[in-house]
Amino acid sequence: MNMIETKKLAKTYSGFTAVNGISLHVPKGSVYGFVGPNGAGKSTTMKMFLGLTRPTAGSFTINNMQYPQDRVKILRNVGSFIEAPAFYGNLTGEENLDIIRRILRLPKSSVTDALELVGLTEHRRRLAKKYSLGMKQRLGLAGALLGRPPILILDEPTNGLDPVGIHEIRMLIRSLPEKFDCTVFVSSHLLSEIELMADNIGILNHGRLLFEGTLEELKEDAAMKGYPTDNLEDMFLALIEDDNSRKGSNRKNNSKRDSRKTESSRKGGAR
Amino acid sequence: MKFISLVRVEFQKIRRSKILLILLAATFILWLPSVINADAHFHMQDIGITPENSFFIQGFMGMTWFISPAVMTVCTVLITQTERTSNGILKMLALPVNTAGLAMAKYVVLLALSALYFLLNTGAYYISAAIASATQSYDFLLAPGYVLEQAGYLFLSSLPMLAVFWLIAVCIRTPVFSVGIGLASIVPSVLFINTKIWFLYPMCYPFYVLTVEYGRLAENMADTQLKLVPWIPAAAIITIICLAAACLSFGRAERK
Amino acid sequence: MSLYTEFRKLKRTCFFPAFAAGGVLSAAFPVLNMAVRSELFTAINAPAIQILMENNWEMMVMLNLLLLITGACILYHIEYAENGIQKMQALPLREASLFFGKAALLVPAFALMAVIEAASLIFCGARWFNESAGTLISDAAASLGFAFLLTLPALILSLMISSLCQNMWTMLGIGVLCVFTASMLPADSFLASLFPYAMPFQILPGMETEQITRYCIAAAAETAVLGSAELIILKTRRLFA
Repeated sequence: MNMIETKKLAKTYSGFTAVNGISLHVPKGSVYGFVGPNGAGKSTTMKMFLGLTRPTAGSFTINNMQYPQDRVKILRNVGSFIEAPAFYGNLTGEENLDIIRRILRLPKSSVTDALELVGLTEHRRRLAKKYSLGMKQRLGLAGALLGRPPILILDEPTNGLDPVGIHEIRMLIRSLPEKFDCTVFVSSHLLSEIELMADNIGILNHGRLLFEGTLEELKEDAAMKGYPTDNLEDMFLALIEDDNSRKGSNRKNNSKRDSRKTESSRKGGAR
Repeated sequence: MKFISLVRVEFQKIRRSKILLILLAATFILWLPSVINADAHFHMQDIGITPENSFFIQGFMGMTWFISPAVMTVCTVLITQTERTSNGILKMLALPVNTAGLAMAKYVVLLALSALYFLLNTGAYYISAAIASATQSYDFLLAPGYVLEQAGYLFLSSLPMLAVFWLIAVCIRTPVFSVGIGLASIVPSVLFINTKIWFLYPMCYPFYVLTVEYGRLAENMADTQLKLVPWIPAAAIITIICLAAACLSFGRAERK
Repeated sequence: MSLYTEFRKLKRTCFFPAFAAGGVLSAAFPVLNMAVRSELFTAINAPAIQILMENNWEMMVMLNLLLLITGACILYHIEYAENGIQKMQALPLREASLFFGKAALLVPAFALMAVIEAASLIFCGARWFNESAGTLISDAAASLGFAFLLTLPALILSLMISSLCQNMWTMLGIGVLCVFTASMLPADSFLASLFPYAMPFQILPGMETEQITRYCIAAAAETAVLGSAELIILKTRRLFA
């Protein structure tokens, strides 16, 4: 059974197609890795799932519920973590989680539980605006895990973490389906990272789904098309390069947009 | 029950915002001159108002005409900005909350801040009237029943104004305009209370209500009756339209 | 150089349109007032601009000050909102030049307002009073010029408050309180009228020459003092950051 399913989902901003008719199938109880370079449309797809942006075409179901009719019901089942840190700077980490807890009507212990899970317990009394990028990232993750929802949507959760943190969070995500009996939809721009966490993989480039399936299937597919298969990064690059060269002219525009995006995320890091 | 918990969440969000300091400072600046210039209230023979009534009216006049609407505009900025800095609003929209409910909860916070400000001023009135009574050896204190009643009326008459401010804050996303329009809308109140169409301009309601009371207390001033008929329906319609529009457009820009 | 970068930063903030709109709104006061109660005012035996100023300036100046506060608030809000200020501080650039660049933008924005207001006074004078265009123009220019000079301390102080507060509502709150304080100060005391936000309430027509000179000197001195105070504050803030 599929927990999340999309049918030809598309999003077009004035003249620019961010997501171009993708059909995803996320099986229940799995970790689904959503891979693609910056600006491929990963965040837009996730924002559509959360009702933060409206699809221009196509539809999706989450746990057999439809957007927009079941928006609130869907959100009750989903723990989410969106790329840009979203929190209240004037509140402490604990208070930020407490706000979410009240809205979700969860017991007080869930905050402690979530703080513990992401390793933020000792910093819980600090103002969120004083957090380092890694701590903000953990706070966002704790907000997603609060109340152990059946579906988790995580947008690049390891961004800005140190190697130890990355490892911890990866292990945590890997263990979630088993621990909490949930489905995880996680994005990253590194195939090598997704390999460590995910059962299923979807590869996105320029808003189009290049591949969907297990890692083994991906490797077979790549070998058949003559891409390098011994190194995942090379394989991923070859896949994207090939797709880009087919698109040709669009590439220039996109790489320009990408460089702007990295710049802004770096600025965030200095905070 | 659910709405109450939303309101509680909204109150939690404005912690450490220093808004209380601003409210307190606004109260202090308002009443300090009254205490210092208390003797001026003995020279009101030509208007025909007693010193204690004059003390009360003059102080509340300063509050309703400018500082209370101005402080409330600042409060709307506080409420919208806490949501927009660091993208808290995105987290809210990704939670199972009704956006209209969220918008209404925020309006309730605004109302509560306004009510708090009126209460602070009523308290400050009694403190300053007590001090003035001591320094001028004259009893400036009015009966609490009367003062609270007046403060209550003023608060109620400010509800439509707060709804308009809230609509401005929600709908106009360019900060310079939302703040500028909010603050600028206060100034024409003085003109509007002298016109027949005052009831179409919610920003002047509290000021108008107090001016009518002033006319009632002062013997030599023209008595105006507070006509409820075009006013209350107009106020209700304005309030409902503003709140409905605010609820509809809240969070819309973030969900494009 | 820094003026241009500051100007660029204001893109899409509607900064100048807001001041133009504010100017038009404030210019509407005398026109409306005259349209409704012209007999009352034309009966007064005094120069047209003096009558117009005496009956409208208080509200106009209130609007001017509120808009100045809002403008100053936006100028620094764009720095603090997404932490742009940190980037600026990390660049080889003096923070003082940032401040004065912003001041150099706020001044013409305010001048724009003053010009619109002067135009409205001249219009009212020409429409409802029998006075030569020359007198009207020179009177209005002198009055608004004087008002402009007397507003400069408030302008610098507003910008200073904005530069010191990270939150938009604290900047605005303090600014609003300052305007309110000015409106509560006794009108007859020269010393009280020296408060930066109270000074713009002074009206040139009908004022004695000696008093005019005193106000001009006071305004220039306050502007200079507040400017240097900001320099010192920025320096010390760096030390404690």
